[in-house]
Amino acid sequence: MGTSEAQIRDFCLDYLGRTLARAIPSHEIVAEARFASLGLDSASSTHLLVELEDWLGIELSPEVIFEYPTIGDLARFLAGQSPAPDGCH
Amino acid sequence: MTQRAASLVELLRHWGETRPDRVAYVFVADRGGPASTCTFAELHRRVEIIAGQLRERGRAGDRAVLLCPHGLDFIVAFLACLCARVIAVPMMLPRRHGVHDVASAIIGDCKPRFALTTHELLNKQRSDLAHRYGGLEWVFADEDRDAAPVMATALPKAEDIAFLQYTSGSIAAPKGVMVSHAGVLANLEMIREVVDLHQPTYVSWLPLYHDMGLIANVLQSLYVGSLCVLLSPAAFIRRPLAWLRVIHDYRGAVSGAPNFAFDLCVSRYRPDDMADIDLSCWEFAFNAAEPIQADTIARFIETFAPHGFSPRAMRPSYGLAEATVLASTGRRRSTFVERRVSQIGLQRHLVKPPETSVDEQRVIGCGRELAGEEMAIVDAESGSVLGATQIGEIFVSGVNVSKGYWGNRAATAETFEARIHGRMQNWCRTGDLGFIDETGELYITGRIKEVVIIRGINYYPHDIENTVQNTDPALRRHGGAAFAVTDTLGNEGLVIVQEVERTVRQQTALPQLIARIREAIVIEYDIAALEIVLIRTGTLPKTTSGKIQRTLTRQLWMQGDLVGLTIHSSGSSMSSAASTVNVAFSSTA
Repeated sequence: MGTSEAQIRDFCLDYLGRTLARAIPSHEIVAEARFASLGLDSASSTHLLVELEDWLGIELSPEVIFEYPTIGDLARFLAGQSPAPDGCH
Repeated sequence: MTQRAASLVELLRHWGETRPDRVAYVFVADRGGPASTCTFAELHRRVEIIAGQLRERGRAGDRAVLLCPHGLDFIVAFLACLCARVIAVPMMLPRRHGVHDVASAIIGDCKPRFALTTHELLNKQRSDLAHRYGGLEWVFADEDRDAAPVMATALPKAEDIAFLQYTSGSIAAPKGVMVSHAGVLANLEMIREVVDLHQPTYVSWLPLYHDMGLIANVLQSLYVGSLCVLLSPAAFIRRPLAWLRVIHDYRGAVSGAPNFAFDLCVSRYRPDDMADIDLSCWEFAFNAAEPIQADTIARFIETFAPHGFSPRAMRPSYGLAEATVLASTGRRRSTFVERRVSQIGLQRHLVKPPETSVDEQRVIGCGRELAGEEMAIVDAESGSVLGATQIGEIFVSGVNVSKGYWGNRAATAETFEARIHGRMQNWCRTGDLGFIDETGELYITGRIKEVVIIRGINYYPHDIENTVQNTDPALRRHGGAAFAVTDTLGNEGLVIVQEVERTVRQQTALPQLIARIREAIVIEYDIAALEIVLIRTGTLPKTTSGKIQRTLTRQLWMQGDLVGLTIHSSGSSMSSAASTVNVAFSSTA
């Protein structure tokens, strides 16, 4: 059993909430928001993916951000991908 | 040999024959896979194969755009153009999802016959390119034939155009700097002289379409016949410290990047991951292509001095495509200089000591003019040279300065044919502001030209404003201003101020509108806007003739004076953002 969709979604929301605090009001950072509408350029989406890779122990292509353009979409996709939970990060 | 060559083509042959088995380029794999290498003989062989195809199918003076991914194929494609006397046009690969197309603008301007690409890119990853640019003849730079290469009979002449650099123009008005073989060799020789090391190893992650990545690394190493180790820009963004690890692994001596990259290395620094890293080999660390921050340099030195990084290696430099790439830098074995000046003075275009500690601003010296080049600080309106305590526009003249923009007489005259009182030659106006102190040291304090520089790439306000206004009919045409400010870390950020029609005044619609603007800016330019401000119609500062006053708008934003006009803003607090803005870049006239 991998990491749950809800866990991944919360991880992304928490990460983006912290890194975007200065630019985006916190109530706009929601699972349905598209990454680009939150101002995630390729550098900042790469940083998010690296965090996810380290946490989930998987490799991700930069294209996943285009294929799964919201936090919710990405979490759903990753929940089906991630190996056994390592319990911590 | 380097002194006698008329072009890089002769140097490529020379190294191919005299040091065939020496490695010219190493590409480090993105995720720890094996590195790929190419010797001088192999490089020469591959270049001749592609050059042969270009000669067969085209004529000298034809243009070829480089639609190649980051890698050896890009370098082969570029050098093949030079060998075939075809004018190379390096450019960024067009963004897959964008509609505002820099590539189309460049293609429209230089009217190329060829597009050089790779099978992998055109047939697999980016099949959209063939559709978008249908009228071009595609040549595959990764084609490898066994047939013996046909050597060219005619070599390029020194005054022939080697390539066009499209970094200075907007989408609306692209401008391709014409770089001649003589010009590029002159600048490479100037760089060799200041670097002053015997065949140093170069390390770079910079994009190859970027002048600093291409000329100051890939061509510089070819010029002196040494090794250049490359990693991809994506690999650097993923793991910034991978850059420093490669410098360590390959004992890199020369490696540079824009200011933001040095910041990123400091912010990602983890002592445990870097315990074995020794940077004492790094003798020349160019810092150029965007405004240089004193804090960044101090933090970088503090962080990496324990790893053997010498403060003397840090080389704040100044360059521009119009001068090929490099215009000024410090000399080897002399530490960069920093001056403390008055902020109020800077705003009045005067260099004087700070009156109080609050008034103090640190400015970093970008070295001196290079051998064969002259720099002057000029009052552009009167054409007179200013003294060491006055700020004016930086003018440059020399063998490395281009003759002009491709097919654009008017822009060429404006930029490349400026005059200084009492001097006979033409000067190039850089659009940058600064001063040259009594020792000859150049300091950059701001700019006149309206350009936003983010991660070393130039963006033009007019293009960004167009994209914003295309997002929604409620965003009034000719009612927006995009400009650059400097954030707390010293990095340049984009601010957009845009008029919105009365029809969308419901408070709920405004955040959505801002989110859509933000999205459009990411999709088209890959930039995260620092702040987007929507203001009432008819309130954007304009001249009596209706010209948008971007500099004034920027000033109002920085002082917090737009608040009264603002309907909605993406920032949590305009004034707090404004207070972080670096005064040096508010001094533009």
